[in-house]
Amino acid sequence: MSAISVRSGTATTETGPGGAPAPAKRKKARTRLPFRVRLRRDWPLLLMAVPAVLLVIAFNYLPMFGTVTAFEYYDYILGFWQSTWVGLQNFSDLFADPNFWHAFENTIVLSVIQLVLFFPVPIALALLLNSVLSSKIRSFVQAIVYLPHFFSWVLVIVLFQQMLGGAGLLNHLLLTHGMNAWNIMTDPGAFKYLVTAQSVWKEAGWGIIVFLAAIAAIDPALYEAAAADGANRWRRTWHITLPGMRGVIVLLLVLRLGNALNVGFEQFLIQRNAVGSGASEVLDTYSYYYGVAANNFGLGAAAGLFKGVVSLLLLYGANKVAHFFGEDGLYRGTR
Amino acid sequence: MSTALSFKAKPHKAPKRPVWEEKPTVVGQAAKGATLTVVVLLVVIPVYAVVLTSLSPQSSVNIAGGIVLVPHGLTLNAYREMLDGGVITRAMLISLAITVVGTAVSMVVSVLCAYGLSRPRSLGHRWILMALIATMFFSGGIIPSFIVVADLFNGYDQYWALILPGAVSAFNILIIRSFYMSTASELIEAAKLDGASEFRILWSVVLPTSKAVNAVMALFYAVGYWSAFFNVMLYMPADSSKWTLQYVLYTYVSQGATMPGQNSATAFAGKDQPAPLSLQMCVVVLTLIPILVIYPFVQKHFTKGMLTGAIKG
Amino acid sequence: MPSSTAFTRRGFVTATAGVAGAIAATPLLSACGSSAANKGGVTTSKGLASILPDYVPLTNGPTPDIPIVTGKAGATSDPGFLSYPTNLVKTVSGTPGSGGSYSAIIPLWGTIPKAGNAYYTALNKALGTNLTVNPANGNNYGTTLPTLVAGNKLPDWINIPSWNNGQANTGELTTERFADLTPYLSGSNIRKYPNLAAIPTGGWQSAAWEDKIFGFPCWTSGNSFTGVLYYRGDVFSSKGINPGEVKNSDDLYALGAELTSKSAGVYAFDGLWYSIQQMFNAPPNGPGAFVIKGGKVISAYDTDEFAAALAFAYKIAKSGYMHPSAVAGDTNDGKQRFWSGKSLIEADGTGAWDLADDTSGKGANPSYVRSAFPIFAADGSTPTIPLGASSGMTSYLNKNLSKTQIEEILEVANYLAAPFGSYEYTMINYGIEGVDYTMTSSGPSYTKQGDNESNQAIYQQLVTPQSAVTNFGASDVTKGLCAWTGNAVKYAYKPTFWDMNITAPSQYQTAYSMAEVVDIVNQVTYGSKTVADFQTALANWKKSNGQKMLDWYTANVYDKYGDGS
Repeated sequence: MSAISVRSGTATTETGPGGAPAPAKRKKARTRLPFRVRLRRDWPLLLMAVPAVLLVIAFNYLPMFGTVTAFEYYDYILGFWQSTWVGLQNFSDLFADPNFWHAFENTIVLSVIQLVLFFPVPIALALLLNSVLSSKIRSFVQAIVYLPHFFSWVLVIVLFQQMLGGAGLLNHLLLTHGMNAWNIMTDPGAFKYLVTAQSVWKEAGWGIIVFLAAIAAIDPALYEAAAADGANRWRRTWHITLPGMRGVIVLLLVLRLGNALNVGFEQFLIQRNAVGSGASEVLDTYSYYYGVAANNFGLGAAAGLFKGVVSLLLLYGANKVAHFFGEDGLYRGTR
Repeated sequence: MSTALSFKAKPHKAPKRPVWEEKPTVVGQAAKGATLTVVVLLVVIPVYAVVLTSLSPQSSVNIAGGIVLVPHGLTLNAYREMLDGGVITRAMLISLAITVVGTAVSMVVSVLCAYGLSRPRSLGHRWILMALIATMFFSGGIIPSFIVVADLFNGYDQYWALILPGAVSAFNILIIRSFYMSTASELIEAAKLDGASEFRILWSVVLPTSKAVNAVMALFYAVGYWSAFFNVMLYMPADSSKWTLQYVLYTYVSQGATMPGQNSATAFAGKDQPAPLSLQMCVVVLTLIPILVIYPFVQKHFTKGMLTGAIKG
Repeated sequence: MPSSTAFTRRGFVTATAGVAGAIAATPLLSACGSSAANKGGVTTSKGLASILPDYVPLTNGPTPDIPIVTGKAGATSDPGFLSYPTNLVKTVSGTPGSGGSYSAIIPLWGTIPKAGNAYYTALNKALGTNLTVNPANGNNYGTTLPTLVAGNKLPDWINIPSWNNGQANTGELTTERFADLTPYLSGSNIRKYPNLAAIPTGGWQSAAWEDKIFGFPCWTSGNSFTGVLYYRGDVFSSKGINPGEVKNSDDLYALGAELTSKSAGVYAFDGLWYSIQQMFNAPPNGPGAFVIKGGKVISAYDTDEFAAALAFAYKIAKSGYMHPSAVAGDTNDGKQRFWSGKSLIEADGTGAWDLADDTSGKGANPSYVRSAFPIFAADGSTPTIPLGASSGMTSYLNKNLSKTQIEEILEVANYLAAPFGSYEYTMINYGIEGVDYTMTSSGPSYTKQGDNESNQAIYQQLVTPQSAVTNFGASDVTKGLCAWTGNAVKYAYKPTFWDMNITAPSQYQTAYSMAEVVDIVNQVTYGSKTVADFQTALANWKKSNGQKMLDWYTANVYDKYGDGS
């Protein structure tokens, strides 16, 4: 759902709101109003936006300028202004560090696994749930599967530990049935799948909300017509429901690709001790452990900046691909 | 309720299947039912087991050899131990306070901003929107944020550092804004003609008609504050008297810290001590309770609050 | 904590992973024009010797039942006491403090006590100050310190373990943020504080930077050894196994087959890694551990001895005689496995052998006995054992404190450093009689409240007196540990850069932490990676920034100050 609103938000800024009665006729007259008149008219609205704008400047924009530390040997005692300027040295250290490339590789691999194993789950669940006719059952199931979205990562991982960990339920069952224990929680080889399973458990239920909405927006008459033409349940799903969801699916894919380097942070931080940094290091944890925790702030900031820039490029690329396939994607250039 | 009644009621309440749709097959129905049951159980069982273990005496934990699925007596000993005014009690109160204050701050700021930006073609709203949206796609990363909060604003070890840096979510503002734009536009026009101020309109026209989105957004913010632990790790890991519940749980779970009562469990065995596992699960349940309490009230608004906001616009 | 080395298992193990000590190199900044970089300072051992405090052992305390043994390289065992003295000595007259308020931060591996509990209150009253000690989680203290320092919120008094010196950048902090205690403590000045003067010189050496004393030593010991190879004494005697017959690594390996019974879930070995290193004469290793080879500084990992030790650890992990949970890397429950007899031989620190262990072990099995193999070498030759830093932790004072405040804290520290057998020691370690502990025939015994409050090693992380081995109600534990240490000190040696304080510049911190190599070493000891993987990782580390860092150490530490011997 994040995608939709992002898109609607952006679209709104460009094409004007759909809901409000803002007739096109008045448009010209309004834009000609002098600045002072508009200010006199709109100052209460601007005033309302001020707190949010201030917070965003302080905690989103100032840090963007703070990325300057990526070009320094940042020394907390000397501070931001006095630390030694080292140009691109942090980046060349970063690119020479096998741990960094290891974290990068982990991030990409995890992203791909999540794409393949996570992405289809909410779609399938939404289709399944949509086919349930009883609205009581439907809302009951919805209420249950949305719930884990509101759990913290610490909580989710404790639950997994208690179910799958060395002293957990699964191993207890295995051992009492004479089988060998398998501590999935500390197995570096299984870690990729473990974290994906955790993500599915936590977020897949919540993910269906968008798809259900997309399905609900499909004109029921289409189904009736198809049924009259003799299309069975599966064919109707294939030819009507899925195409109806196409826009949303592509949009979410674009976002997913744009977010390829954001595979999660707290989830990895919490489990790092259990599986070791080899399996669990991703770009964000690298930035924390090699930057803040190892007191090498410049290097950590360089890793963060690298990630931010690559993410932007990915988003741009993914959106281009979407346009290529005739979809709106995240945004369209101004018409 | 008598069986007869419910039986009778059934045909009326039964979901309507469109006439053109074929009758469901038995196999199909069974498969569907089984899948949904599994999905529901996957969520319910872990939560059930954790809650039960936290309530179980040492003897049941020993019988089960770990997490308890079948109750053998219940006790509140673990809760008594953890809520005796020690670290956990304090952390719980701090977490609650941060969640309440944080949610209030976030909602006030977001609602004001969303409304301020919701008027078509008002002065500068496009620029502000763009600036907000940009934050969703690029961030400076952990370290610059830390330097800004801790060094520039002197926020290390300050509670506000757990609230303000994440107080504004551009995404949430966009959803609230879309919702406001799609509702009550006639009422707003009418109020304007009556000469009501913008604040007045927001307060008495917009807010009352957008309870669904407000409730859902408040829940989002609240859950965000309640669940966060990394900000504590970054901004106040040194002062254990300021830790939040999630961070305390993190130290127990991931950092191998010992819990109150955990040593005594071995040293003072046989004195009605809860099992260490029960203590741990008790902390887990404490992090769950507020969510389980609020969730049912807000859950019904999800579809309306999220989707009208999201899809319209 | 009334035991010789009160580190927890985890703390102790990491304790040796960092260089610590004190022939005080410069703060060793990169040339970034800071004021600190210009303060070179003459840093010779002579320079340090001229400022080190006098050592004046207390004379009026109780005589130990097991006397101190002095071994090679200045290593000494701790005195052992078998009973709690009945007439406690008062070493401090009046209240040391004059009502000042101070904040302190320390790492804690135990349970964080309630704020403002009875024990804190009572101790504050005895100290005459309002000293608020905030325990932070010891397990991630290393990631806590950089944020604390960068956030510019240093408390008045802070403990920095030597293995966190790199992350905290202690070298630079001492000149920029910490108070210089030399004027108060050097030479005969320390005699004003008799309990501090009774701390052995090695501790003060660990607390010195750049020929100045900056802090109070905690847990000073002349025998901080990493690994003790323990076995279940009761099981060995019931099976008629004579531990004296284990003379080399092959003998040890042979025990594997003899003791393992998979059907009963009993395995011969748990984690043995720390003792294996000693057997194979591997130098202390890990981040910041080096040796000199051909006039150059190399990583301690980069030695044949280390590779041989690692190969043996791999062999043990793959043997099938090591407990599967230990193979899976689960160290948290290691003691539990040993107590319940699921694993019979394990390596741990000296701190593992104490009263609490005895109580917990006997709780699982009444006949439980923890015993230790005397140290031996893998090939049966004369064994060696490296000395750890004289003090693993140092507490520092904030530079912002005034002279009067520092003097007040010195008085408080003098109280906290009261040795075993004193009234003050009992107060600090046991708390209030009747509330935190009860006096039994064998000595003080914690109540449940005391177990959560006074038994948590809080104030001991600010300054600690000469260690004493005391386990009342378990005399055999004291005797066993004293005998083991008394033997081991005879084989001690000082490793490279022993007791030198060094912090590398921040751009080398990533290389310094060697995260990937450390990770792989762990995995080899669990059998999930091979020695060849380790060699590759080490080579990669050298290629990235590692070699540069080593060269920096050669040029800036070794060539200027030598190897510390």
